[in-house]
Amino acid sequence: MRIALLVALVLSTAAPASAANGWWTFNRNTNLNSTLTWKWTYPPSPADYSRSWRAGSGTTMDECEIGRGWLPSGWYAQKGHWDHYDGSKIRGRVWWVQDKTCRDGSTRRTELFIHSEETASNGQSCTSTYDDPFCWERESDYYSNGCIKLARPSPVASFPNDLGSAHATYHDYGGKAPHGAYATADANELYVYS
Amino acid sequence: MARMTFLSCLLFALVTSACGAAKKEVAAQPPPPRPPAVYTVGRTLLGLPGQDRVELSAAPVTPLAGWLTPVAVPSPDARYVAYNAWRQLREDDPALSWEDQGIAAGDPLARPSIRLHDLETGSDRTYVDGGFSLAWRGDGAIAYFKGAEREYRAGVRYVGDVFVRDSVDGQARRWTPRADRYVVAGWAGPTLLVYRVRAGEALDVLALDGPGKRRTLASNAGLVAISPDGTSALVEHGPETGPPQVVLLAVSNGAKLASLDLTTVDPSVGVVGYSGDWQGDIVAAPSASGIVLLRVAGRRIELARTMRAAAGQGVAEPRFVGASSVTGWTSTSSGGAFVDCDRVTGRCARAVPLPTARGAEGFPAWRRPAYNPSRPQEGEQ
Repeated sequence: MRIALLVALVLSTAAPASAANGWWTFNRNTNLNSTLTWKWTYPPSPADYSRSWRAGSGTTMDECEIGRGWLPSGWYAQKGHWDHYDGSKIRGRVWWVQDKTCRDGSTRRTELFIHSEETASNGQSCTSTYDDPFCWERESDYYSNGCIKLARPSPVASFPNDLGSAHATYHDYGGKAPHGAYATADANELYVYS
Repeated sequence: MARMTFLSCLLFALVTSACGAAKKEVAAQPPPPRPPAVYTVGRTLLGLPGQDRVELSAAPVTPLAGWLTPVAVPSPDARYVAYNAWRQLREDDPALSWEDQGIAAGDPLARPSIRLHDLETGSDRTYVDGGFSLAWRGDGAIAYFKGAEREYRAGVRYVGDVFVRDSVDGQARRWTPRADRYVVAGWAGPTLLVYRVRAGEALDVLALDGPGKRRTLASNAGLVAISPDGTSALVEHGPETGPPQVVLLAVSNGAKLASLDLTTVDPSVGVVGYSGDWQGDIVAAPSASGIVLLRVAGRRIELARTMRAAAGQGVAEPRFVGASSVTGWTSTSSGGAFVDCDRVTGRCARAVPLPTARGAEGFPAWRRPAYNPSRPQEGEQ
């Protein structure tokens, strides 16, 4: 409790968000239960702050398996961020990261995002008997084809609002304000631990 | 080499005939692990009938397709080998971000190509500049993906179309109605099966019945294998969309013929992967613990046996080798090894042909099978 109060005090007295510099890290543990963290600093101070959420990635631990393996290790440039992305498979609040060559030195993983299962308007579409692509129903929704996935609540399941929390933290503590594809280099990178 | 083999056999025969007790022990030894029938090690192609070894002009690799498609495919008439190549246009260190390497959106990074090696003349030429993945039909028709642009660029989806030629030098006809990210998988009779790669690397298996005739055979799925007669396809669905399962589909209309819920069989199977093989009524496929054999009989799919590779060792592209073995490959720090599994005992062992082979064009010395997943093939119809 005392630690929580101390952290809250530190956060509340921290410098303005505009001065923060932030980045993602992803610590791979299992496909269903890994950790996504947003870290930030207030340069030139070296002190860094962070918030973390449970996240999933892939259905296997082979980072070279296209469409199946979890996200390869290394640094990623962020290619864009949307609040209302409207793709065929991925929608809503998303971050798009660069392609990455996996550890075999050849295979490129592509089409990689940080996302959840929600509609383009950040709602839930829960209609089918088992798995709707835009409804977070169950534990197995942490699985992905390779992307990083965060949970969110839905009418049929009470998962934490990790997507909402990550999105707010990103914008409050150093994430880039503009939305859409980034034409210029972006400092908000992602590091995936090996 | 032949003389050495003969002398080795002679010595072996003398030793075993002289020692009755030892004869039984030697006879009980399992055969040494073998590579697939035809395979590549770096730029070298081995195992082709009548060819000791063939040196290709480039290393067969498939960076944008992984093992969704073979790296090299022999033609049905055994005249050619078509293979995927990759020319890097600038360094891209996987440990660093594009920003930290000064790579901007739109910068050209590499150029994929399909090359054609003529086994009669020895010529080796670029067949498709700016494309990758191909399938060879039994009558010699060839299908391939060609990018809208030749270069693969940073931050740009490598979209293009699938083209078909009636023969190697025939006129190319576009079969896809619109550009997208496709990977050619194989022919199932007259129907071409391709992947569409969507956002998040979600894979759809599409059936192309002719120019502009595209339908979705299976969404969020991988193609395990095409039946020997080319009329059905076994696809896998991973746990991201429900309980993992394999489903048998009629290629002509997509009808579901049979399915197997993988949560109801030996837990070591876990999930089943794509790019397996089908011989008779048995399908070999990658699984969580190594390789799984599934029996497909009529409208029924059942687990035939599991074959466990070393712990943590993923096995890709398992191929039947004769009647007794299934051989896949796994990546290693030096470029890869074959994993040869005995169908009777279920035991697997590594085979590393040309162990001192060196890589080419910045790639390790990959060991991958060269095969034609299209069906039917000669003698199978």
